[in-house]
Amino acid sequence: MAPARTQSARPAPDSYESHFEHTALFEFSTVINSSLDPQFIFSHILLTIMGKMLATKGLAAIEKASHEFSVEMVKGFPREFVGQMVHVRKLPRSMMDVRKMNSTRYPCAKFFKKIGVRMVLPMFIADKPIGFLAFGERFSKKKLQTREITYLRSLANISATAIEKSRTVEQVQHINRKLDRKIQELNTLFDLSKEYGSLLDAEKLIRLLVFSLLGQIGVNRYIICLRQGSDVRIAASKIDGALPQAELLKTLFKLKTTSLVENLSMPVVQNARDVLVDLKMALVVPMSLQGENKGLMILGEKLSNQPFVETEFEFLSSLANLAIISLENARLFKEAIEKQRMEDELMIAREIQKGLLPNVLPTLKGIDIAATNISSKQVGGDYYDVIPAGAHRYVLAIGDVSGKGTPAALLMASIQASIRALVPLNLSLSELTGRVNDLMCENTGGSKFVTFFWGFVDTEAMTLNYVNAGHNYPYLIHADGSIRRLDKGGMILGIMKTSTPYEEETVQLRAGDLLFLFTDGVSEAMSRESVEYGEERIEALLKSDGGSSAQDIVDLFHKDILRHAGGAQQSDDITMMVIKRE
Amino acid sequence: MSDFKIAQRETNNVNVLELKGYLDAHTAPKLEEAFQQLLKSDRTRIVVNCRDLSYISSAGLGVFMAFIEDVREKSGDIKLTNMSTKVYNVFDLLGFPLLYEIFKDESEAVKKFNDKK
Repeated sequence: MAPARTQSARPAPDSYESHFEHTALFEFSTVINSSLDPQFIFSHILLTIMGKMLATKGLAAIEKASHEFSVEMVKGFPREFVGQMVHVRKLPRSMMDVRKMNSTRYPCAKFFKKIGVRMVLPMFIADKPIGFLAFGERFSKKKLQTREITYLRSLANISATAIEKSRTVEQVQHINRKLDRKIQELNTLFDLSKEYGSLLDAEKLIRLLVFSLLGQIGVNRYIICLRQGSDVRIAASKIDGALPQAELLKTLFKLKTTSLVENLSMPVVQNARDVLVDLKMALVVPMSLQGENKGLMILGEKLSNQPFVETEFEFLSSLANLAIISLENARLFKEAIEKQRMEDELMIAREIQKGLLPNVLPTLKGIDIAATNISSKQVGGDYYDVIPAGAHRYVLAIGDVSGKGTPAALLMASIQASIRALVPLNLSLSELTGRVNDLMCENTGGSKFVTFFWGFVDTEAMTLNYVNAGHNYPYLIHADGSIRRLDKGGMILGIMKTSTPYEEETVQLRAGDLLFLFTDGVSEAMSRESVEYGEERIEALLKSDGGSSAQDIVDLFHKDILRHAGGAQQSDDITMMVIKRE
Repeated sequence: MSDFKIAQRETNNVNVLELKGYLDAHTAPKLEEAFQQLLKSDRTRIVVNCRDLSYISSAGLGVFMAFIEDVREKSGDIKLTNMSTKVYNVFDLLGFPLLYEIFKDESEAVKKFNDKK
């Protein structure tokens, strides 16, 4: 043990230096490893080595790609060197004097000489080049000793690890940031889909879409347009200038993928492209649903002036598709609600109509009577009635209210109420009709009208006293086959107050006489080929009748109309009434 | 459901909105309405205090984007303050610090408004 003690007690001058160097290396290592800032690291490396070497110029470069080195920092060299790329085909393994570099082995030597580099100190980790340090002439012009070179190499090695560490951390931070952005994008989609799940208001959907776009992408100019049938509607926009024509936007629906405006090359979109360029728009994102383009999000430049990147395209596409599904759902939902509302309303109209029409017709002495009403889908305003009005008198009525659905049904109800109230007044049919017309004009203000035929049947006198207020002329077919149309009366009800009294007529009902009352739903019943049933066909069928009952005749017409329609849906009610003197 | 509240007060001629809770697609319309009200009555010196804001989504950030131009056109501004690290990270990630002034404390933002005069 003793010799060792002696050695440590009186170290050789060499050991002094060695101890000093170790301490310096340790300190150097501590300092440059304490920071992750590459600028700080480069600066410290250069200053330390320049101090050690007594060099006035130093330069640090790191490898960016294979054989390509970028100058990161200079001390004493012109500042313009920073950021320059240096191609170095081969890096010396150790510190090397540029003058000793063989220019065939080291083609970079020429460049180094030109800029005044004297020594090149490579930085390796294992065999992997990290970068190099380069220095100008030593102030002392003295040749470096082996010991000094070894020391400098140690510094370079420590530097290499520190630089590599800082670069790795930088890369991790960069990747982390990219990941964070990705997570943020996913959060945005998640946030929106959660909200969209419970949202059926198209306007609100669009607004949230816009907010997400503005927030996530950082744009402030946009046009969102949606296809509506063959049209294009702008649902939201914020741009500097006039909105592009819908026709122009329509051409952009040909795009299948997210495209930068500057890359729009299809000839058909060139006009649209020019307009978008003028508006400083940058990107077009199709909103597609099941492969069909239903809308477009057109975005302006980002406020950060950063270009759009490929990964954002994916996000924007997902956002667009998510939005269009919800918008489509909202549209379908609205349609369904609307349809349901109409169905409900029609149901009410049908109920009113059913309640108005007589369930069972009264039996008239010596007269056979039958009637039917086939309500159309939309419920027209047809009405018929047979009301007892005294010992052997009955009111017959048939009418057709303008319009359809509940409003028509309600008007029909008010007419029925007024005739039932007025009939007992013992007025002439002409006067009664005038009163009904006046009441109706007061109620509707002339906005609705009714074609109306009515009359009194007297089963003792066997007469029909009638007024025809603009209704399809009923047929009176005599037993001998001759036909009369009952056309006396006046204006349709509801247009204007009665000024000229309604004309009335009384006709005799002889044995075998037949009265056929109908609404235009009969004469205008449509076939699949859009051919009307027509009055000729009514007449022909009436003439063909033999001794069948009123109900038989109604049924006969019903069947014949159905045959004519051939399954075509009828837009109007079909109503008829047959009165036959036995 | 996510909860979000806005309290509004005025201090030194500056309108302060205190946001509380979750600002996401569901609650964004509330903030939109608050900004609309301020803008309508020309109160455009706005400080948004985010001390009790626990979360912000892109849709929430979008509301700030949607109004900033209109507010600045009326020579006002929207300044943000008292953000938690979590909330700040989202702002930072989406590049907002370049577009908005963000302060550690509400008083600094209020002061900035009044210094300008």
